[in-house]
Amino acid sequence: MMRLRITTGYAGAVTAVIVSLFTNFSLAGELSKDPGRPLPSTVVVQAVGPPAPVRVAQAAGAPSSRALPPSAGSSDAAQGGIAVEDLLLQKGTITMDDWIRIKGEEEYKQADREKRSDLLEEWKSKVEKLPILTDKVNFGLNALQYLYTHQNAHVAEGKSQDNISIRRSEFLFWGKISENLPRWHALYEFQSINLSNSTPTGNSSTAAGTATAATFFRETYIDYRPVLAWAPNLNYIRMGIFRMPFGIFTETSGGLRDIISSPYLTSVGSGGARDTWNGVAPKNGTNGAIDFIHERDFFIDARGRIGNRLEYAVGLMNNNNYQANATGANAPKSFYSRTRFLATDVSWVSFTVIAGETNNANSNINGRGKGNFDRYGIDFRYTSKLLPGLMLQGEYWQGHDGANQTTVGTPANGACATQSVCGGDGAPGVQRRTWYVYGKYLFTDGLLENFEPILMYEQFDPNTTVGNDLYQRTIVGLTYYFENMPPKIQSKVQINYEFRHHSGNGPGFVPDPTKGVGDPFAQNMLLVQWQIRYM
Amino acid sequence: MTAPMIRFGLAAVLGLFFSACGSSALFQANVLKDVDNDFDFSVWRASPNAVPGRKVQLGGRIIQAEPSNGGVVIVGEQLPIVEHPAYGPSSSGRKRTGVYEFAFLYPGKIESTALTAGNRFIVVGTTQQAKVVSVEGASKTEPYLVAQCVHIWKTEGREISDFPEVGAGYYPLEENTYCATGK
Repeated sequence: MMRLRITTGYAGAVTAVIVSLFTNFSLAGELSKDPGRPLPSTVVVQAVGPPAPVRVAQAAGAPSSRALPPSAGSSDAAQGGIAVEDLLLQKGTITMDDWIRIKGEEEYKQADREKRSDLLEEWKSKVEKLPILTDKVNFGLNALQYLYTHQNAHVAEGKSQDNISIRRSEFLFWGKISENLPRWHALYEFQSINLSNSTPTGNSSTAAGTATAATFFRETYIDYRPVLAWAPNLNYIRMGIFRMPFGIFTETSGGLRDIISSPYLTSVGSGGARDTWNGVAPKNGTNGAIDFIHERDFFIDARGRIGNRLEYAVGLMNNNNYQANATGANAPKSFYSRTRFLATDVSWVSFTVIAGETNNANSNINGRGKGNFDRYGIDFRYTSKLLPGLMLQGEYWQGHDGANQTTVGTPANGACATQSVCGGDGAPGVQRRTWYVYGKYLFTDGLLENFEPILMYEQFDPNTTVGNDLYQRTIVGLTYYFENMPPKIQSKVQINYEFRHHSGNGPGFVPDPTKGVGDPFAQNMLLVQWQIRYM
Repeated sequence: MTAPMIRFGLAAVLGLFFSACGSSALFQANVLKDVDNDFDFSVWRASPNAVPGRKVQLGGRIIQAEPSNGGVVIVGEQLPIVEHPAYGPSSSGRKRTGVYEFAFLYPGKIESTALTAGNRFIVVGTTQQAKVVSVEGASKTEPYLVAQCVHIWKTEGREISDFPEVGAGYYPLEENTYCATGK
């Protein structure tokens, strides 16, 4: 009933306002044709008093226009700084009771609005403190890659030479706690390859059971900045597992790589059992899988930049890959350092040294022996500012592996237990060498906009003292970028064709050149990969 | 000590030497000449027409950039320029209240990737009368200056100090200085 009365009151009031405004606007419209004509006093409807729109006469007891509250709350129609209900009251269209009732309603509404506003402010302040909005916790898709490959190399019965896989499905979490803890980082890999169907029931501290390293655990580290004023000269101390600062490719995220395959410096040669020829394995360190520069490890290092032109990283690593927890993290440690001289902000030359000792027992890195271990590398990148879109990059590495190099999962403890697998007890230490260079050009306009051709050549020599053991590869590629705003966003499709050649595993150990048979590193390969990266 | 180790040691020493020589400022000395080091942004923001013709250096973050006659008008949020952990405009300090927007005209060409929202910049220019600009569809009267030179870091919203270790790998931060012709 009350609502009905209010509604009726509002309807009457609005009708009166429309009529009176229509009258006023009509008059004003006529008057505006003659600006010199004086405004008649009848324009302002009034009961008593002088004809001034800001000082209208009023019914007895009604508030004067000056005494009226601000019209902010009277949003219905505030014309000329006077509220509608005040105007109606002044015109006598509504009674004082109506006026009071309308004002009461408005005050109630205003209070309600203020209450809502306070609530919103309260929630806003709460939301602003959420870790996800304060850079303390972030989430991103590092790389989601769908890969198709075709190779004429021999495959087992029941398998296809057309291979479909999820190359990477990497989710990244990171954040900044404070200036002294500028970054924490964790990366998980959910790819469809290398999955294990066994439940881990043992580890380095358990005598029996199945030791399994789940593949989704890839990276995790903490950065600690001891003194803010020392940065960037000593920017932070990093501890954990991450891509090692060895050259360029090793440290480049999988979602930002320009070719699909990893270069031979990361891994080359057949995995699993080492190659044999008529049951004989060459004892020259050239056969089997070799992970010359491994990508990730347990480490602690210090990093910084001096004079805006020199970056450095110097530290100590466990030297048994990121799965070391499965077999024991306490491998012989190795020292490493990298100094990078920046010619410009995006072009540089850098030098890397790794030195220490390795043990082939419980190794998680293929091709490592027992004894002294070292690596020396030089790398460069030239990103042209004269010809934007052009980039050249290369790395050259050389290093020594101790005796009796073995493959992952092969029992060894200095000596070689299974000679046909380890490469033979007494296999000497080897000096290895590899290099690659590639160039690419990104078209930024025209018909070929967002297309990027790339050409790469590389060599890997597993034993510099032995002939007929060279791996060679030429990669011709074309990339199309759907979105390209690195390092945050990069969605693309890549097509690579690899011309592969493998000389053999030393004199007398030449791979069968017949297509579809033998060494996959001697057979060409086609790769097509779709990628999304967003963070 | 083996010969390779000696060679690499020498390389490191040479790198240090070159780095010491190569320490570079963002702008040439003549660009920074007559810059008002006591310029108070908040006062200018409150009274944008009070101090026309003053040469200033301001750091900030790009909110939007629109091509204009003979150049590009950039609307930015002013940020303090810090020395540590990396030199440049930073928003990692304590939370600020108030409005810090301003606009400037760079009378020249800048490639589109440098004008991405979130990129950090330091601009050297001369204050002008306030100007009405459209920011995300709304007309605003912003304090305004005409740039002589601007240095842009392509951070895309991140802090300068986040680079080069960003996004699960090494990614160098690209930065460039742009100076108007004849300036």
